[in-house]
Formats: sequence, structure tokens, C-alpha cells
Amino acid sequence: MRDITLQVNGTEITRSVNPRRLLVDFLRHDLRLTGTHVGCEHGVCGACTVLFDGESVRACIMFAVQADGHHVETVESLADDPDHLHPIQQAFWEHHGLQCGFCTPGMLLATKELLAENPSPEEAEIRAALAGNICRCTGYVHIVESVKAAAEAMIAQGGSR
Amino acid sequence: MKPAPFEYHAPTTLDEALDILASTGADAAPLAGGQSLTPLMNLRLARPAHIVDINRIGGLDHLGQDNGRLRVGALVRHADMERSSVVREHLPVVATVVPLIGYPAIRHRGTVVGSLAHADPAAEWPSLALALDAEITLVRTGSQRQVAAEGFFTTTLTTIKEPDELLTEVSFRTDFDACGFYEFARRHGDFAIIAAVVALELEGDSIADARIALAGAADRPLRVNEAEDAIRGEPLTAETAVRAGEVAREAVEPLEDIHGSSDYRRDLVEVAVDRAMKRAVNGS
Amino acid sequence: MTTEAQAPRFFGARVKRVEDPRFLIGGGRFVDDVDMTGMLHACFVRSVEARARITSVDVAEAEKMPGVVKVFTGHDFSGSEVRCVSAYEGFQVSGYPALAEVEAKFNGEAVAMVVAEDPYQAEDAAGRVFVDYEPLPPVIDAEKALLDDSPLVHDGWKGNAFVERRYESPGFDDAKQSAKHSVSGRFVMARHSGIPLETRAAIGDYDKGTRMLTLWTTTQIPYLIRTGLADAIGFPENRIRVISPDVGGGFGVKAQLYPEEMACSLASIDLGRPVKWVEDRREHLLTAHHAREHTHEATLYFDDEGIVEALEAKIVVNMGPYSVFPWTATMDTGMAMGILPGPYKIKHYSVRGYPVATNKAPYGAYRGVSRPAACFTIERLMDQVARHRGLDPAEVRRRNYVTGDDYPYRSAGGLEYDSGSLVESQDLLLEQVDYSGLRRWQQEEREKGRLIGIGLGAYTEQTAHATKEFVQRGVPIVFGYETSTLRLDPNGKLVINSSIHNHGQGLETTLGQMAADALGIDIADVRVEYGDTSQAAYGSGTFASRSAVLAGGAARRASEQLRDQLARVAGHNLEASPEDIEFESGRVFVAGTPDRGYDFDQLCRMVYHRPELVPEGQPPILEATVAYDAPPGTGTFTNATQIAVVEVDPGTGGIEILRYAIVEDCGPMINPMVVEGQIFGGIAQGIGSAIYEELVYDDDGHLLTTTFMDYMLPGTTEVPHIEVFHLETPSPFTVGGIKGMGEGGAIAPGAVIAGAVEDALAPMGPVVVDQIPLTPERVRGYVDSARREASR
Repeated sequence: MRDITLQVNGTEITRSVNPRRLLVDFLRHDLRLTGTHVGCEHGVCGACTVLFDGESVRACIMFAVQADGHHVETVESLADDPDHLHPIQQAFWEHHGLQCGFCTPGMLLATKELLAENPSPEEAEIRAALAGNICRCTGYVHIVESVKAAAEAMIAQGGSR
Repeated sequence: MKPAPFEYHAPTTLDEALDILASTGADAAPLAGGQSLTPLMNLRLARPAHIVDINRIGGLDHLGQDNGRLRVGALVRHADMERSSVVREHLPVVATVVPLIGYPAIRHRGTVVGSLAHADPAAEWPSLALALDAEITLVRTGSQRQVAAEGFFTTTLTTIKEPDELLTEVSFRTDFDACGFYEFARRHGDFAIIAAVVALELEGDSIADARIALAGAADRPLRVNEAEDAIRGEPLTAETAVRAGEVAREAVEPLEDIHGSSDYRRDLVEVAVDRAMKRAVNGS
Repeated sequence: MTTEAQAPRFFGARVKRVEDPRFLIGGGRFVDDVDMTGMLHACFVRSVEARARITSVDVAEAEKMPGVVKVFTGHDFSGSEVRCVSAYEGFQVSGYPALAEVEAKFNGEAVAMVVAEDPYQAEDAAGRVFVDYEPLPPVIDAEKALLDDSPLVHDGWKGNAFVERRYESPGFDDAKQSAKHSVSGRFVMARHSGIPLETRAAIGDYDKGTRMLTLWTTTQIPYLIRTGLADAIGFPENRIRVISPDVGGGFGVKAQLYPEEMACSLASIDLGRPVKWVEDRREHLLTAHHAREHTHEATLYFDDEGIVEALEAKIVVNMGPYSVFPWTATMDTGMAMGILPGPYKIKHYSVRGYPVATNKAPYGAYRGVSRPAACFTIERLMDQVARHRGLDPAEVRRRNYVTGDDYPYRSAGGLEYDSGSLVESQDLLLEQVDYSGLRRWQQEEREKGRLIGIGLGAYTEQTAHATKEFVQRGVPIVFGYETSTLRLDPNGKLVINSSIHNHGQGLETTLGQMAADALGIDIADVRVEYGDTSQAAYGSGTFASRSAVLAGGAARRASEQLRDQLARVAGHNLEASPEDIEFESGRVFVAGTPDRGYDFDQLCRMVYHRPELVPEGQPPILEATVAYDAPPGTGTFTNATQIAVVEVDPGTGGIEILRYAIVEDCGPMINPMVVEGQIFGGIAQGIGSAIYEELVYDDDGHLLTTTFMDYMLPGTTEVPHIEVFHLETPSPFTVGGIKGMGEGGAIAPGAVIAGAVEDALAPMGPVVVDQIPLTPERVRGYVDSARREASR
């Protein structure tokens, strides 16, 4: 067992973990942050996407011990109150950017990262940025619309959060 | 799909890491990006008894131009290459390749050197290393050696790296006159079924020397000497590109798997070499 | 009642989904999110062979490993199996066990189950269970399985077909003999499946004190699971509760009783602790049921004008070894036989169908259920008819479509097409994409050397089929109805309890939209519940594009009953006739005099807390349950036409989709946004079928595509932007005239893209694209053969 201390969604957490515990299992089961999902456990589907020191990573192919001393953000960091959603969440809601909701946390964080780097992306850029997030329900059209709407909303609000 | 148990080491200096590798030997796997290793561990296709996490070692993330070569440290991520103005300036062909590697999340963690150590014959970096005359630095406690990419890859997922060695750096030649890369994958971000890299030295309008490397055509990245010989001295034109493709096609005996038969890969080799050459011709 | 006079406020509106907030904030509750005191974790040991006698299972070492509580084998669960028997004559019966005991019949079949304190330990121990397999000759190819010399998948069976089905319409032979022309083909669709992003998961939770078994499971059909489980493990059904919470995609794959659900239940009963299993992706590809593997041999007979007179076909489906619950092994074959004539007026039809037992993984329902293969076959043949007669593919179809005057139309396949707009849909589509302009552009690009192709595909889709249809299909459970129970509380808020399940279809919202308007209330005051068998009345669940029609119909009817109940109370107290009571924007009042009335919530409270004001004989509660079986029970038919413009790279065989458009007609739409989402999702899966997805087995029946590195799912860069246009031809029979449509998008893309590729290569030489997926290697093969044909 190893002791790790890390920031999760802005809160400092210290825990003792088995080195082989995957970061996604640590988040979901040790910290009860079940918004991050497991879809494949080999890094392809994107359901486990979290932000690690501000950059998107696959939590299913990272060990919790690697996060010692780092900062992890999950979908729960965007907003926890349906009445005060992050503009990206709001846009996905208004434009039907989700159906079963399983890929959604990964999509939201990938979108957050995209818009931080590229506040006004073209459709092709949106699709390239989200190519690593598989959705089996939506066919992506509404997701692309949601991202465009989120971009517009965030520009109107004066910069990204 | 959870990994088998292992002992975890997180050295903070290179010497510490090398000492661990010296004592654990073949039972250890270094962990840098983990984008190739961890999936294998989750599938239990790899079961190292020791993991040596090198992410906390300082001095391994250098990326810079030095004496005609681009030097890339072991902790330089694909994303660092993508963002680097040094790369764009000195090795523009690499700038076209990196966005094709997986997806942003993969590129944030995966490393160039890690990709070479992993030695997947369908990955982009091993074939780039061959074409761009890469030199790989391997260190062990008390000594180090440099190996040319030519002699580095032995077979699928296997290199000449000894168990007690760590790759610390790769350097690429940056003085080629024209380079081109072409990859065909089933989907955006996938491994190539076939990829071709071409690196050319020119004399006036003709090709003085050529390096043509393939990903996906064999159990390791492959130089196609026959095609290189065929175009030496030829003008840098579309016709020469076609010829390079034709010769390459006849020279290879590709492996097959569920993504492509040997015959189809042969077709792709011709297409990829031709198109990589044409991109070199067009200066892209 | 006069509420119909007002325009409905919620029906037809693009209402934001009420279920979204919890998913957006990471608050959805999927089975793996559920944690319980004392919960154990299961890991299955699975057969490495496609077919093998199990001679021993050694669990001694595994049971001693850290954290392991018990290792179960087939012997422990002996007798617990699924037997799903079709009523068709000659149907051969198979038993699908919780754990294989005597023989493993497919690569991946569960042979033992490790139960441990945590999933990592369970997996460690599973690797130390030693099974001795005596391999037997596996049966892998369905056509070979039908030959006399094939090994038998099941001892004691006569041949490997679950059943043989035949149908021939009267006069077929004459029509065939007198036909002027014919085109034939052999059409192959590869094995693939729905592959939802959330894998399967189950928690068996048996309480020794209450003797209640609760099964949490990722299912689309909670009530059927409850009954099926009771039957399969011999447990009293009134002591089983099935809970299906949020589910990450189903597509039919989660509409089946699986051995793992049985095993988790049995293990929990044995151990008295909750036992959780979360499927990993490799297991999912191996064992979550497969679909789509059809081989059709078919011939169309037609005249000089390209009018098709007769269709002859042989349908073979590779079913794996077991008849799954609740579909039976006949579902895909029977449905393909019925729908093969497609949207065309083909009078004469002769068909034989063979669902074949093999040693691949078991086969179940996946979006469209045989219709993608049937559409592929008929559309490819129609394109051949077009080529044969020198006609445009759109024109040939136009000449053959069932038209407005023909409805209701009894098809040669025995289906009753109730309504549709096939000609109009195609016309609108071609107008929207400027078809003639597109053809001109194609010609210009061809002259530049580009391989541009245009493909067209049309279908009519049977949806919301109910009692009459399923009786015809010989299934042991006739999925005839869905049930909605509506309750108003004293505060005037509505709860709809439905027998369906919701895992992306927006039913939490659309059922509310169906009910709110009749009562004049806001959808924000409606809550929809589903997925817990202790709550609502019985029904079948969500599949076959039926929920909006059947559960929505039930909800609408029940809301009308509640309206009647309230109207009687209001009328009684306002001295007016119930017929004169109106419900609008939260008020209940006498028509014409809005002041003479009540606030809606006020009236509800009156019923519950002032029973003396309720008319005598009327119960002082506001509750209505309706089980709705949409007449006439043979389904209501949606239709759509899809078109794709593609470019083929002759060097790599790669296909780029340049444009994709659809005109769809599902009648009046409850929520157009939801409809479009279903269309886009279906088309994306169809593109996967057409180009990317295949479950590949080797000759010995080992699955080779066991990760997402090998099984390719289309992402944002593979699925193009999709244009959608709507027509609305109501059903004459259903509540609101609505039709189902959830599966439709997935039906045509295989045919459409195959047609487009064929069209793209046509200038090089004649090519018949008769197999999907169109992997780049396959397309390159078509390119090479087109060149060879042309140079002859």
C-alpha cells in the first residue's frame, strides 16, 4: 500500500492505495465520485476522461499512485447544481447532446479542454478534438451542436471558466 | 480487466531508477506515459512484478535542437512535440504526424521515447526513427550507449534494450531537405495499417540520398533499401514517387492480421510510399 | 371534453429532457455506482474453446487466494437454465445454463464464478481456476452447419437448424416462370452487435431474513427478467424485485436474460450477501449477445419497366448455440422473412429461413433486428434492377413503392402496412439534396478522376407491433402491451409509473409530454418512474420501437382517465356537467367561465382530503392504470429514405462520406429533438455496420476481435454531419397517430453506403457490392476487380 495526497476537484485528499488500483476505480469507489465512467479499460473509448493537471487523460490506464502530488478534476467539478450549470453542461442540455448519459462526463471535460485552447472551433476541429470520445447513442450531430453553442455562450459570457 | 499485482517504485533520480532496474532485471517495466503498457497490464498480457515510474525524475523532459539533431528526452510527451515551435521549425514532418497519434488524452501522457521502447511495428515513432536516422540513448548504472534506430528494433514489441537499461533520450537528424509522411488507418487516431516516412537529401533537383521507412509492414519498422536505391539520383518528381511505390511494393513481404492481408498491405505499401514521396515533393 | 380544441402545449414541442441534469453533473446512477454493505465481487472463468467437454474444474487453489469467499462451478448451479421455446413446429430446444457444466458451447461461455471481497482479487483468483477442456469439433459456419455431414451443436438434434421456416405465396411459381427478367445475388452481413458504452452489470442481493431477492441489472426489460429469472432458477416471483436504474445504452443487447444475472442471483442466495458483477469490455465482445450475421440468397423477377413481380429468397442466420430469452432463436429469421419485400409492392414471394445453431456466441436482438440485413438485400437487388433496365435507382424504387392509395397494404411477407409516405419521402429527399444537381456535380468530379458515388436506401419499419404480431411469431411471451400507472398527489403533481425502461430514448420526458396536455399541467410537475418491478404494473420493456406508442399511449389514456375523474369531482361541485369542464394552464373550470373553477392542485387536494366532496361511488384517490395494446396489433409502419454521397480512394479502399441525408416519417412527433437524436444515433450505428464493425472468429471458433483496438466503433471523425427532414403521416390506429422510430436510422446505411460505393466504382467497371462491412481491403478488392472486368 502507498500513501498518496492529491487535489481532487480542488479538495486535498490523502488515502492509502494499492499501487495497482486504477485511477478510475480510486475516483469511483474510494472517493465515491461516480460521474467518471468505465467503458473499456484500455484507453480507447474516453468514458473515463478526467483532467490531470488541467489536461485530459484516461483514468482507466493510469494508476492512482501516479496522481500523488497532482491535481485531478472530474465532471463533478463543473457544477453540482442543476440550476447553475456550467455553460457547457447547459449547452448539452439545450441541444440534446446526450441520450443515455454514459459518455457525457468524458465529452464535457474534453469539450472544456477544447474550448480553453480554441474558444471558437470549426466543426472539423470539434470533431478532431472529440475523436477519442466514443458515443454509441447520439451519432454525434447534437454533440457538435452542443459544443458550438457552448463556445458561443462562453464567448458571450466573456471567456472560459 | 484489472492488472495483476506489482511492486511500485517512484524514483526521483535517474541513478535511483537504474539501481532498481539493476536489481529487478527482467521482472521490471519502466513506466513513462503508460498509454501502451497499462492497457496490456489491464488485459493481463503484461504482468511485470515491478513498475518503475520514471515520471518524477528531473532532467528527462528536455526538447531542443542541438548540432543538427533534435534531442527529445524520455519524458517528452507527444503533446509537447505537437506544441513545440522548435519541432515545427526543425522537423516539420513530425508536426504533421503527431496529431495522428491517438487522441489528445493519449498525447498528453504518451511519450516519444516510450513509443520507441514499446516497439509496436504499426506505431508512428519507430518508423520515423528509422527514416530520420534516430539515435537512442540507453543508460544503465555506470554506463551508457547510443544505438542507431537501425539496430534498435528486433521484432514485435522487442528491442535490444537490456532489462537493466533505461532509454533516456532519442535524437533525430534535422538536416533533411525534404520529408513526407503518409499513413492509412481505419479511423482517425488509430494505429496505421501501413504508414510510410520519406526523408530525402537533395542535390539540386535530384535525390542524393533517400531513407524510406514503413510502419505496419513487418514485425518491426522497415527500411525499404530497394526503393531507396531505385530513386537515388532521380529527380524529385511525381514520377519518381510512383516508381518508389512500385519498387517498395515488390520489395516487402508484409505480415497479415485481421486488419489486412499480406496482399492488401502490399497494395498499401505502394500507395503509402508514393503519397509520402509526393508530399516530400510538394514540400509539405 | 374540449381539450383537443387547444393546441397541445407539450406534445410536438422540442422540450429539453428532464432526465439530463443528473447525467450532466455526474449524478446518474448506473449499476456499478451502487454500493452495498457486505457486497462481494464476481469474476467469471470463461471457456477458451468454442466447443469442449468440461472434464474437470479445479478450484482448490483459487478458493485459498486472498479475499476469495467461494468459487462456484456448473455443478453448483445445475438445473438453472434458460429454455426459450418457440411455438413453431419442429423447433428444437436448447438449455442456456447459468454456468456450463458438461460442455462449453462457445468461446467465452461462463464455466465458473469466483466471488471475492474486491474485483481485483476476484480476477486474480479466476486466473487460478484450472479447467480441463476436451475440445470437440466446433461448428462455426452457418451454411456448413446445415449440411448433412456437419457435427451437431446439440446432441440429439436433427441437424443444426433451430427450425426450418418456409412460406410461398399462391401463384408464385407462375409469376416466376412468366417473368421477363431476373437478378440474383448472395448478400452477406457480418456478425456485429450493439456494443453499448456501458457494459453489462448485475448485483444479486438476497436477504436471508425477508427471503427477498433483489436483482440490480442493466436491463431494458425488468419485468420479463423477473419472470424469466423466477422460471430459470425456480424462485417465487413475488419475492423477486428487479431494479434497472440508469443504463448506459441498450440497443437490444440488454434485452435478454443472461446467465450472469442468474449466477449473481444464485450466488447471493447461497452466500446471503450481495454479489456484484461488472462486465469488462473483453467479456462484452465475447459474450454479450451478438447479432446481424445473415446470409441471404435472393432473386428478383421483373418486367421491362423494372416492375418487380416476384421475390425468392433463402435466409440463413448464424445464431450461436442457444435460444435466448425472451426472443427465441427464431426472431431474426422470422422478421427477415416478413420484411424482406421491404417497401415494395411485390405480389409474389417464396422464402425459406434457417436460424442455425453454431458454436459462436449466442445471438439476440440489436436495433433493427434483421431489418438491416433485409434492407441490404432488397436494396442491392433494386439497384441491380435499375442497372439492368438502364434506370436511375430512384426511378426504379418510385415505380415499385407501396403508395398512398394502397394503404392499408398487406405485404407479400404477411405484414400489414398501415400507412406511409414512401414516394413523398423519396421525392422530398431528392428535392432537398438537389438530386439532379448532385448527379451533375458527380459527373464533373468523375471527369477530374474522383470516384464519387451516390447511394439510396428506403425502408418501411414495423414499429409498436403488439399482440397479434407476436402471436404470429410463435414466441412464448407475446409482447402485446405496455402499462402506465398515473397518480396525482394532493399537491397536484403527477407521477407516471411505466413498464418500459429508459436508457437514452427520452421517455422520462416524452411520457410526460403525452400526459401533461390532457390535464393542462406543466411538464415540470410530472415525474416519470420506471425500472423497479416493485413499483409499476407489468409490461415488457423497451425494444422494437414501441415505447412511445405503447407506453405513451397508455400514459395518454391514463391521463384522460384522470381528467375524467377530476372533471366529475369538479362538475359535481360546480353544478356543471363533466363534459363542460376544461383543463388549461393549471386551471380546471367550466367552459366559458374561467372564474368558475379551481386551481389544479386545489382540486387534487380536495379529492384526497375532502372525500365528502367527491361524488358518491367514486374513490377519493386519483389513480389510473392502462395497459395499451395498439390496434390492430400488427404494428404501425414508419418509413424513411436515406442517401449518401461518398468518395472512394482507389489506392487504400478508404471511404469518405461526403454527405448524408434522410427524410423520415414517423407520424406526429412527441418531441422532434428526441426523434432526431434517435435518427442520428441509428445512422451512426448503421455506418458502423456498413464500414467498420465486425466480430471476427477464426476457423476454430475463437473470437479475434476482443478489444476496441480490433472492433472498430465509429467516432466523430467517421460519422459525418447528417441532414434530416420530416414528413408526418399519422397512423390511423394509434393514440395521437404516433409511430415508433427508434431503430429506423440503423436499417439502411449498409445498403446506402454499399450502393454508393458501387456507384462510385461504376465508371471503372461493373461491381456488385454484396457484403458488409466495407473494410478498406474489401473495397480495394472491388476496385481491382472492376479494373480487371473493364480491361476484358
